[in-house]
Amino acid sequence: MPDAAVALAEPPEEVEAARAVLSDLRRARRRQRTRDFDPFEALYRVYITAILSGIVIWLASGITGDTKVPAATAAHVAAHDAQWVGLVVAVAWAVGLRSGGQGGPLAIEAADVRHVLLAPVERSVALRPVAIRQLRFAALVGSGVGAVAGLLAFRRLPGGFPAWVVAGAAVGLLVMPSSLSLAMLVSGRRLGRYVGGGLALVVLAWAVVDLVTHVTTSPTTFLGQLALWPLRTRLTALIGVAVSLAAVAAGLTLVPGSSLEAAERRATLVGQIRFAATLRDLRTVMVLRRQLSQELPRRRPWFRLPRAGRWPAWRRGWHGILRFPALRLARLAVLGAGAGAACVGIWRGTAPLVIVAGLCMYVAGLDAGEALAQEIDHPDRRETYDLANGELEVRLLAPSVAVMAAVAAVGVVTAYLVSGATPLAAELGGVMFIPCALTGLAGATISVVQGAPANFSSATSALLPPEANGFRAIFRMVWPPAVAIIGFLPLFAARHLQPGQGTRVGRVAGLQPLILILVVLVAVWVRYRDDIHAWFAKTMEEAKAAQRPAGPQR
Amino acid sequence: MSSSSPASRASSANRVPPAIRARGLTKDYGDLVALEPLDLDIPEGQLMVLVGHNGSGKTTFLRMTAGLLDPSAGSVEVAGEPAGSLDARAALSYLPDNPVLYDDLSVAEHIEYTCRLHGAMDWEGRAVGLLDDLGLTSRADDLPSRFSRGLRQKTAILLALIRPFEILLVDEPFVGLDPGGREAFVELLDDVAAAGATVVIATHQLEYVTKADRCVALRDGALVYDGPPGQVDVLSLVG
Repeated sequence: MPDAAVALAEPPEEVEAARAVLSDLRRARRRQRTRDFDPFEALYRVYITAILSGIVIWLASGITGDTKVPAATAAHVAAHDAQWVGLVVAVAWAVGLRSGGQGGPLAIEAADVRHVLLAPVERSVALRPVAIRQLRFAALVGSGVGAVAGLLAFRRLPGGFPAWVVAGAAVGLLVMPSSLSLAMLVSGRRLGRYVGGGLALVVLAWAVVDLVTHVTTSPTTFLGQLALWPLRTRLTALIGVAVSLAAVAAGLTLVPGSSLEAAERRATLVGQIRFAATLRDLRTVMVLRRQLSQELPRRRPWFRLPRAGRWPAWRRGWHGILRFPALRLARLAVLGAGAGAACVGIWRGTAPLVIVAGLCMYVAGLDAGEALAQEIDHPDRRETYDLANGELEVRLLAPSVAVMAAVAAVGVVTAYLVSGATPLAAELGGVMFIPCALTGLAGATISVVQGAPANFSSATSALLPPEANGFRAIFRMVWPPAVAIIGFLPLFAARHLQPGQGTRVGRVAGLQPLILILVVLVAVWVRYRDDIHAWFAKTMEEAKAAQRPAGPQR
Repeated sequence: MSSSSPASRASSANRVPPAIRARGLTKDYGDLVALEPLDLDIPEGQLMVLVGHNGSGKTTFLRMTAGLLDPSAGSVEVAGEPAGSLDARAALSYLPDNPVLYDDLSVAEHIEYTCRLHGAMDWEGRAVGLLDDLGLTSRADDLPSRFSRGLRQKTAILLALIRPFEILLVDEPFVGLDPGGREAFVELLDDVAAAGATVVIATHQLEYVTKADRCVALRDGALVYDGPPGQVDVLSLVG
């Protein structure tokens, strides 16, 4: 053993020296990474990103339309819509504050936590460059999203193209980094999840008060004024700018105080989430995200089921649901409300909101189908049951249907209120809420049951040409949310009903059997998919054997 | 550094301030208590083993001492400084049970940057010696991401020992090591202890317990034994 080992470390004497060491470390790592750099893969990623961005912009264009609004409407927007933009800003800030309470937003590698943050190097030297990199990226994304939003606003509202794009980009440039900085501020001060969550609620409530009372007091509303500068230039918008910049400065100042415990937890989970997202493994992403936000099942259920009872799968499902944390229940309610509000938007003519409504129910279905997902997560345990996998899975879905019905009921109430308490909203909701709950759950169930995509050497994939495999991969990704969206399509039939074709409620009710057939087909697929796969594999094997040339005769 | 017996080291250690001092150190996760309030002084130069069954709180104690976990209550000082502070980090080397290494740095690069981050002087010669002791000489230019669990553990051991330190915390160090690796590591630990470092080892490896000056046992987060290892049935403590 070298005798110099036992001696107090002498950390790099100057901050600059430590910075140089870290800089060398990053340079060496970059060198190693660029050895494996594949320019074609990078170009492919750019290509995919461009296509996806184009699709998003196209969908967003569909939502906003492209005819200029009347002058009166433009005046109304200039007078009141800063509050709406402010609410969006408040949501972004609330997300940041909540993330900070959970130890975010820095995503430091696990090895950096162990080797750099445990070394006698000032945390400011170790963490601030990471924070600046994240802020830089957030600024880039924010300004891009803001510019697109400005572009869409330009198509409907008076004002010059450059003015709208610049105003949108400026707001995005401020909002995303300030949201990230608020997270750094909360985590750097170690304020904890309750304070972080509480501050998030305060920011949201303040923005809602501004919206409801038509006043401008919240910094988020002031920032909203900046977005509408092409319509009306108000210098008070600079208050929002100043607050955002102050948040960035405070975040960067305080970020060295972040907890290592949270950093290490995030280091492991963020890496896993990215990997699972790359594989399009939605279930894993969801489980890891819950761990990241420490969304754990309750140790004590909301209430206990009676001890005795038959139907173990039904009881197992309820045991899990009764341990849902309050946060998950609140999320389910918000998703239900989101679906309901989107339905009102569809009825008023914004057709693409059907995607929002479907996605709300799909995501709710992913939460509600937890019991089934748990069994899928533990295939070894499942194999020990004296019951076909498919049969167990279908039985486990029954309690989830009840949860989804409750989520959809929240949607109906929301639609009724948002529509101005019209009886038609309640009648349509009454007819549609169960089928929409079922299609949401069906879509989520397909996602969970199919799991991560199989590799291309699997029996089915090997038989398909590469182009077909690409389509198959996209189909796998798109089909589950599409099932959830299909549940809302009868709304269009009712909306476009011509006089003399019956009642709107009757039209929607008449289409429900088709929706229910789809749900039944999904249930049958879940129940018998193992048998179908086995039959398919056997058939393929027999076909291959028949095509194989006979060997030499002995 | 001169070598000395555990007994003489222990008696001299009693006269100097503790290397690690925990006062009311507690860790809980909601209503789950991982470590009940713990008062513990570990004198300088002491070789202490920490035993206990799975979930007894050993790793929690070590991680709080290393500054990786925030205590729920109480405090822990390392070399007279709060755990996790700059001076505490300079004095303490932590070898965790799961090696975490950069995927894109070779063993040699890991060594270089660890030494530079810790301000180590004349480390090249010691690196050669440690690489040789742990059987990693031929793998120095390889990426640990392609290593087996045992080789990664050896790399982590090397990195924990190459840097200067006064206190060494080791968590289940023998997991994944082959018999040769185990033997080499035990020898290295003996050398570290003989050189006067304070060593705290959490282990289930009972044969190592007898080498220690002191044995501390935890059960369900509570201290159940603190004394010489020879006076207690260690097997009963580790459950």
